[in-house]
Amino acid sequence: MLELEKRGKPTVTWVTAPLKKDALLTARAFGALGFATAVVPREFAPVPPEEIREMVDAAFPGVIRGLTEPPEVVPQANPPPGILGYRGQDLLDCWEQMNAAFRKEGWSDGLPLVPPTAAAVEGMLGGTSLGPEQVIASLEPGFGLATVRAIAVNAVMAGCHPEHLPVLLTAVQCLAEPGINLRNKAMSTGPHAPLVLVNGPIAGEIGLNAKCCALGPGAVSYANTVIGRALRLIMMNVGHNYPLTSDMDAQGSPLKYSLCAAENEAASPWEAYHVEKGYAPDDSTVTVMFVYGLVDLGTISITAPETLADLYATAVTNAAAVGSGLWLTTHRVDPRYQTTEKEHNFFFLSPQEAAKFAGQGWQKDTLRQYLFNRARMPLKVLLKDRDPAAIVKENPGLAGLADHPETLMPVVEDPECYEIAVVGDIVGRGLYFPGGGGPVTRPVIR
Amino acid sequence: MMAELEVFSPVAKVVTAKTELAPRINDLKGKVIGLYRNSKKGGDVALERVAELLSQRYPGVQFRSYRGSQGLLDAVSAEDADRIVRETDAVIAAIGD
Repeated sequence: MLELEKRGKPTVTWVTAPLKKDALLTARAFGALGFATAVVPREFAPVPPEEIREMVDAAFPGVIRGLTEPPEVVPQANPPPGILGYRGQDLLDCWEQMNAAFRKEGWSDGLPLVPPTAAAVEGMLGGTSLGPEQVIASLEPGFGLATVRAIAVNAVMAGCHPEHLPVLLTAVQCLAEPGINLRNKAMSTGPHAPLVLVNGPIAGEIGLNAKCCALGPGAVSYANTVIGRALRLIMMNVGHNYPLTSDMDAQGSPLKYSLCAAENEAASPWEAYHVEKGYAPDDSTVTVMFVYGLVDLGTISITAPETLADLYATAVTNAAAVGSGLWLTTHRVDPRYQTTEKEHNFFFLSPQEAAKFAGQGWQKDTLRQYLFNRARMPLKVLLKDRDPAAIVKENPGLAGLADHPETLMPVVEDPECYEIAVVGDIVGRGLYFPGGGGPVTRPVIR
Repeated sequence: MMAELEVFSPVAKVVTAKTELAPRINDLKGKVIGLYRNSKKGGDVALERVAELLSQRYPGVQFRSYRGSQGLLDAVSAEDADRIVRETDAVIAAIGD
């Protein structure tokens, strides 16, 4: 609607009470100090028509005001000073005050933070050859400037060491790629968590764990944990993606605290993930992809590839997942950048699990194609509440499909929508992450 | 003995171009109101009802219905926006969850 306001047309938008502040802050992020809204008690989608009409009646005065009176202005909050000071009985007291203040301001992920002192930040900046004021990105949804320093401050808070900074800078670049559609993921009511996968020599150089407990917990995954944590703090404090104001995740997710691992390239029977994406084996890369959740693939005693893949397909055929079958009627797009996403899902297979496939001559593409063929559900189930008429608009080659609701259709748009990496150790099992959108892989910037 | 701890603020500066909101309309009588919705359910019911209420209150008011043309949330393309602007005096939007 701001695009219409910019073109000189007054608009008013219905918002629910919990999302009103979200709407006003979003408008401010785009440079508008106000935004005309009419508040309704709840969203229209799940309620019967009569109740919608009652809500519209009650909010009618707000609609009239929105079109005829100057909109409500959100006072521009004073930005916090660059340096913050805390006095106390001793440094521990000061640290506790700092953490309490950061929690109160919403700058914390809820866990104790390492103080970003000048010395600590200076030390962190030694982890890169880039200058502190170099801008890596403008990070949505708040268009905060992700300078190297801003990233370094949040990296210190998370517990990162200087050698972790290059991976973090690159992960921020991935977040800023138009194709990842960060605004959509960051502000959703869904539990989108940025999965970070690191490939190449840097993983070993900085102590990233690719094996047992790679996704935590434990000190063995310290680098993984703090890098993932720093990325969340950066999304919050640099991207201005705070719970209740722009992060409207209905339940939240523990995956949003940190989700980072390295690929166990040395033990993988297949070419490395980044090599598959076109990089050289000795290139170091970071891949980021948003995922909704995590499913265990407890297949230790299963060895036949077809049986394994059939079991994986049962995890994938979850019609409740947002991405399942989405391709049939629509795609996530961002008209600002003319980007269109396919819905990808990610598999982490331990080396022992991958060996079960490779030992029978299966490559990753073999598994992908098998899953594409097997992970199918009836059209009428995948459609959920979407209009069948949208099928042919989105996929002209599927004309007539809507007349056959029992047709088994693939959950994903094509086999390449299955991302596969070898992570873990100990036994043959895997993890499946239902995804939102697709991955972005970038070379590490040092 | 008192101690002091100085730290950097973690909050990044924001740099964005200012967006001016459109002037409001004095009177909706005789105006063309755009009724815009995306793919979320219930928006059609809400817009139909508000059109009834506006018709009862403002003589001669007219309506044009719109949906965006882009992707999952029927987002508004630049072309959509230009067309809506040409054809209406104001817009009521039903979007989101």
